[in-house]
Order: sequence, then C-alpha cells, then structure tokens
Amino acid sequence: MVKPGILESPETDLSESLSLPWHVVVHNDPVNLMSYVTMVFRRIFGWDTERARKHMLEVHTKGRSVVWSGRREQAEHYVQQLHSFLLLATLEKSS
Amino acid sequence: MLFKLTKKGNPSFSRMDPILGELFLAAALDPWERYPEAGARLLPLPGEDEGLRLDWQDHVQPELRRHFDHERSLVAHDLRFGMIKGRGKTDVYSLEIPIEHVDAWLTTLNALRLALVEGHGFTEADLLRKTLPDLSSERGLALMQMNFYAFIQECLLQAMEGLAEENG
Repeated sequence: MVKPGILESPETDLSESLSLPWHVVVHNDPVNLMSYVTMVFRRIFGWDTERARKHMLEVHTKGRSVVWSGRREQAEHYVQQLHSFLLLATLEKSS
Repeated sequence: MLFKLTKKGNPSFSRMDPILGELFLAAALDPWERYPEAGARLLPLPGEDEGLRLDWQDHVQPELRRHFDHERSLVAHDLRFGMIKGRGKTDVYSLEIPIEHVDAWLTTLNALRLALVEGHGFTEADLLRKTLPDLSSERGLALMQMNFYAFIQECLLQAMEGLAEENG
C-alpha cells in the first residue's frame, strides 16, 4: 500500500543507495613493509603514528582494515591515493 | 655499505660493493617492460563494481601509470648523475639521494619489489625465509635483490622519520 504523499519510485531507491556510506578497505600484502604502510596511512589520512600503526597491524593480522567510510567520491579519491603508493585498496558499499 | 644523512639532510650510501652498486643501478628498470605479468598488481582495480572498474581503467590507471613513470625517471636521474664509482683496492660505489626525491625512490623500489614477486612467483614463505637464497639461480638472485631494496626502503623511511622528528 502506498501512503499518501510518499512516492514509491526507483529514484527513492537510488537516493537511499547513494546516501549509504562507502568503505575504503586496505588488504594485506606480504611485500609492502610495515613501516611503509604506516607512513602511507599517516601521509594520506593525517593520522598520528599510533593510529596508523593500529590500522597497519589490523591489515597485517586480519588481512584487511576499513580505513575510512563516507561519501563515494571521497572514498574513490582515497583509493586512488592508496594505489599511488602501491597499496592494495578497494571500495566497498556499506551493507 | 655505509648509510648516513649528509649535512643537507640527503640520504647517502657509500662504500658499496660492486654487486650492491649494480643492484642499485637496476632500480630504474621498467617493471612493466621487465615483468609484464605484474601489471595487474601494480595497477589494481578498486573493487567489484563494473562501472567503477571501467572508469578506473579509462581514467585512473593511465594517470597512475604516468605517476609511476615520472617517479622512476627521477630515480634514473639520481643514478645517472649521483652514482659515483670510486677507485681503491677494489671498486666501490656511492650514491647521494636528494631528500626531495625520497618519495620517488620509495615508490619505484616498491613497484620493482612487487614486480619481482609477481615475476618469480615468490610466496610469503619465500619472503620470510631468513637463510641466504641460492645465489647460483636467477630466482635466488631476484630474492636477494628484493630483500636489498627492502633494506634501502627501511633506510630511507628511517631517514624521513628522523628528519620529521627534528623538524618537530
């Protein structure tokens, strides 16, 4: 049943989809040095060493770490920056 | 081989054995040309979304490739003009890297290490092995090359960290 004043349309679904946050995920890689990954996180996200190391160790021990969540455009920008340092990073839509 | 920072703050490697000097000179090799099978690792895709993957291939990957080529050209420049082959009882090499080129060196060495891993099919166990690789084989030499570049990266990272602390 359609409630008065509410339009059920594909646009509504698209709007909801666009509003969902996107995750930037960094994946483990046996080649990149731990100190290098920590430096990259500090550089890109402006984190202090402690926070950067925490995420680096999460990548190392759990295989992946969500390093940022938010708007898709910004998430794409971060993934591109991480790729420019040769880190394995992907974009995932929040479920 | 000795490593130190010069008065200008430039990382400097000196008294390098010829074999290490040769490994340094190989740092400017084009990994795309030498190890084409490493292309997918050097320029990975950003996820499963088909539209995003196409966009990445069309726009982002060419830009990143230009970035990596530019960084490698700076390394090649440093090797061409900064690598000195001295003469003593045995030939030794030295190299001073301008501090403003350290990022280019880190990226270029990383790309080459990734390409060596893909090109020679090294496993995580190979990379963690503490014993000396079999240097009579091409694979063993490649593993030594990879470990040497990792050591150089560590030196450069420590130098940058030290300078950052000095500058507050």
